[in-house]
Amino acid sequence: MRRDPAGWSARAIGVVAAVAGLAVGVGLLARGVAASNAAVGLSDAAGDALAVPRWLYVATGGAAIGASALLAGFVTDRRFVAAIHEWRYDLGGDRFRRGAGVGGGVVGAALLALVIYRGVVGPQVPTVNFAVIVVFAGGRAGLTVATYAVGNVWPAVNPLRALERLPGVVAYPDRLGRWPALAGILLLVWVETTTPVTRQPEVLAAAVAGYVAVAVSGSAVVGGDAWVRNADPIATALRFYGRVAPLAWDGGRLRASVPGMRLVPTVAPDGSVVDREGTGEPGRDGRAVSGLDDVAIAVALVWELTFSGFVTTEQGAAAIRAVAGAGVPPLAVYATLLVGGFAGFYVAFLGAARVATRRIATTRSPRTLAVAFAPSLLIIAAGYHLAHYAAFFVSLSPSLVTALSAPLSAPANPVVLTLPAWVSALNIAFVLGGHLVAIWVAHSTAYQLFPSRLQAIRSQYPFVFVMIGYTAASLWLISLPTASPAFLG
Amino acid sequence: MTTHDSETGRPDEGRDGATYVCDDCGRAFHTAELRVLHRGVRHPDALDAAERDAYRGVYADEEAAIRSFRIRALGVLVVLYFGLLFLYVIYAS
Repeated sequence: MRRDPAGWSARAIGVVAAVAGLAVGVGLLARGVAASNAAVGLSDAAGDALAVPRWLYVATGGAAIGASALLAGFVTDRRFVAAIHEWRYDLGGDRFRRGAGVGGGVVGAALLALVIYRGVVGPQVPTVNFAVIVVFAGGRAGLTVATYAVGNVWPAVNPLRALERLPGVVAYPDRLGRWPALAGILLLVWVETTTPVTRQPEVLAAAVAGYVAVAVSGSAVVGGDAWVRNADPIATALRFYGRVAPLAWDGGRLRASVPGMRLVPTVAPDGSVVDREGTGEPGRDGRAVSGLDDVAIAVALVWELTFSGFVTTEQGAAAIRAVAGAGVPPLAVYATLLVGGFAGFYVAFLGAARVATRRIATTRSPRTLAVAFAPSLLIIAAGYHLAHYAAFFVSLSPSLVTALSAPLSAPANPVVLTLPAWVSALNIAFVLGGHLVAIWVAHSTAYQLFPSRLQAIRSQYPFVFVMIGYTAASLWLISLPTASPAFLG
Repeated sequence: MTTHDSETGRPDEGRDGATYVCDDCGRAFHTAELRVLHRGVRHPDALDAAERDAYRGVYADEEAAIRSFRIRALGVLVVLYFGLLFLYVIYAS
């Protein structure tokens, strides 16, 4: 690595300008907009009118991403770029982990049993039922936020972790890759959106029991470890989210890194993309994203939040009603939208990789670029998730605490916090913030991949354009008033 | 995980037309400059004196190109800033 003579001044200017630009952009956008999320059975968000025309607000968000990408391009000091994503801080050893692992498994299994039991026998009212509160406020919102903000605890609290010891009767077919997990994630989102799991605890209990049955039989067939690694949608989604987190186990030690920076792939001296940093778990793939199936999962995590945001807006519900009015079954409309939109996002990302390899004289394949740049999508997904679920989680946290402290009795007087209006401005900051960190991850990745700094800069443009598209879609969605999804409420 | 690990950065990946091969790792490049940069970045200890001079030369040339990129990028940022400023003046209320 060589020292960049002009790097320091440009870097300082770039960092100051990026911070100032973000502050101004967020300030300008901080007008009332309402979040939307899939669990509408529990939320009662309302939309305020925008004083800024919606197209201008969306355009400003897109411009903020584009501008920050240009500003990142000002930073050309390889050593500085590498120093940020290679920073690690050792926090301790393995003993704590084993102790926490046993306790976590017991707690997880107890919660699972309670969810099914209370879902069946508890009061069939979503806002007081233990099952609905724990699964959606606790798992879908709280646990996922903790996974990308702190670290992935799912391997410890997975209620089915005892299954991982199952040997299985056939070897997992490698050619399936992680595509089963992708299908599982899309299926879970479809179930969450189209079935009354968020409103009828009995249905939720049945769905959870179904998930357990599938996991047990899958683990029995291909072996528990292969199942969790390649097919379990929840474990896979949380593992991907966990890659964003600052804390992770590495070689038996708990290590802290700058949030999101473990997403940057390491490149061997010969220039091939490797990952020296394992997850510390034998048999697990160390790289955040290691094939097109993983690229698809990263895209799916971005898309599912966009999708569940879309169908819970007034405009989205109206669009679905319009299509269904022409005689198409509503559930098929939802499925088509879910899969079709995912395919659109996925093709856009692969297209960006193809365009990037054409624009620069490189011997790297579009596939390599897609795999190397896909981890940056995970931090975008984390930003979207925070925008969709942070307010939801905070407002339901008293109910969650009540439910967890007295799991066998329904609360007589459930407390739901009403949040001040400025909280909705935070959602814009979360979406933009996720994209800005993703821009930096992509920048670091490009410097890992390409020997020429100009190549590194130019290779990012197509991905930045795709990211601008994703941001525009997501900013537009969180600005729309929320509604119950059409035909489902 | 054979299917997963069978990608990324094999030296023979997409080599058509790439004739400049790094002696140390076998990675191929489309231009001599890219190979020089690659060797300077990835194998800094394996360079001899001539290669080091070549690396400095190519690096300096690239520095000039990057300066031109910075000026253009600054121009785009100014246009973006004032463009949005005027859009807000006209449309936001």
